[in-house]
Amino acid sequence: MYKSTGFISFFLRRFTGVALVLYLFLHMWVIGSIMQGVEVFDARMEFLQGPVFKVMEVALLAAVVYHAFDGLRLLLVNWFNIADYRKSMFYAVFAISALLTIVGGVPIIMVAIQGH
Amino acid sequence: MTQTINVRIQRFNPDVDRKPHFQEFPLEAEQGMTVLDALHKIKTEVDGSVTYRRSCRHAICGSCAMHVNGANTLVCNKPLSEAIDGKGQVTIQPLPYLPIIKDLVVDRSSFWEQYERVRPWLIPNGVTTDKEFRVSQEEVKALQDAEKCIMCGACYSSCQVIAMNKRYIGPHALLKAFLRVMDPRDAAPRERLEDLAGGDGVYRCHTIFNCIDACPKNLNPTAAIETLRKLVIRRIAFEDERKARQAKLLEPTE
Repeated sequence: MYKSTGFISFFLRRFTGVALVLYLFLHMWVIGSIMQGVEVFDARMEFLQGPVFKVMEVALLAAVVYHAFDGLRLLLVNWFNIADYRKSMFYAVFAISALLTIVGGVPIIMVAIQGH
Repeated sequence: MTQTINVRIQRFNPDVDRKPHFQEFPLEAEQGMTVLDALHKIKTEVDGSVTYRRSCRHAICGSCAMHVNGANTLVCNKPLSEAIDGKGQVTIQPLPYLPIIKDLVVDRSSFWEQYERVRPWLIPNGVTTDKEFRVSQEEVKALQDAEKCIMCGACYSSCQVIAMNKRYIGPHALLKAFLRVMDPRDAAPRERLEDLAGGDGVYRCHTIFNCIDACPKNLNPTAAIETLRKLVIRRIAFEDERKARQAKLLEPTE
């Protein structure tokens, strides 16, 4: 195993990518249910209000933010030919993703706990 | 000034061992020693069965690339003092992701097969001129020092894509393909770029940057691959530009 920031970024990129594809199926399962009537849709939405899904929502946010910013990092490195900054940019992407996950995740958890 | 250190060498004898294991050798490290010097000392003074490849000892032949303390490097120009970790030891392993033949020697067949696949030689345009082909400063600069590659395999065996898929051409061969495609004397850039456009070519690279980390000559295969990606898209226009460039050579000069 060749350990490097490049490997960590690749692993996270692939992991979040696969997770987002799987999420898409879950999303279609919920949204598509409106075709079967409002009751079915409401039942599925109710099912997704549990605490486990709230935590997964925060994880989804983390995955989206990391995947997007890491992709942006690769675009910038390739476009401007700045491979010398690849590691510092990876740390920056990680920090930005963590910050945005906290900023977006805290309200989700707070609403889940307080119920409004 | 000497310092006692612990050299951990990954051993594997295919006749006896089922899987690789580590063996530790205490060593008096002297000032100015390289990691290769340490290996020599162990082989000549302690255990003659320690097996590794080396040749020139001047970072030119590319034989002695190994995995030292978790990073690929040439052991011949790696100072031992820089390789000693916080525990006072140096861990030497063979290049990762390649089949081990014995101890620190790996089977590089796939590495050379991919190298041959990109036709690393110059394809001339068949016109004999009565003067030399002068390459401009800008054209040399565009090669990004790719001609300095010594084919050590450090980038190839650090590549995560190679770990998963041995059909991928690999950073070393793509860098060589880049060198030939960008060479104004080469007459078949379009053909070369078409070969690189397939599923095992330039688009298989996941931009992990391990090849840049590993290269002992500080080359940048990722940038070369990115340039090839752009050229693959406009390969027909690129070949026309190349023909125009080569035709200029044949024009009479005042």
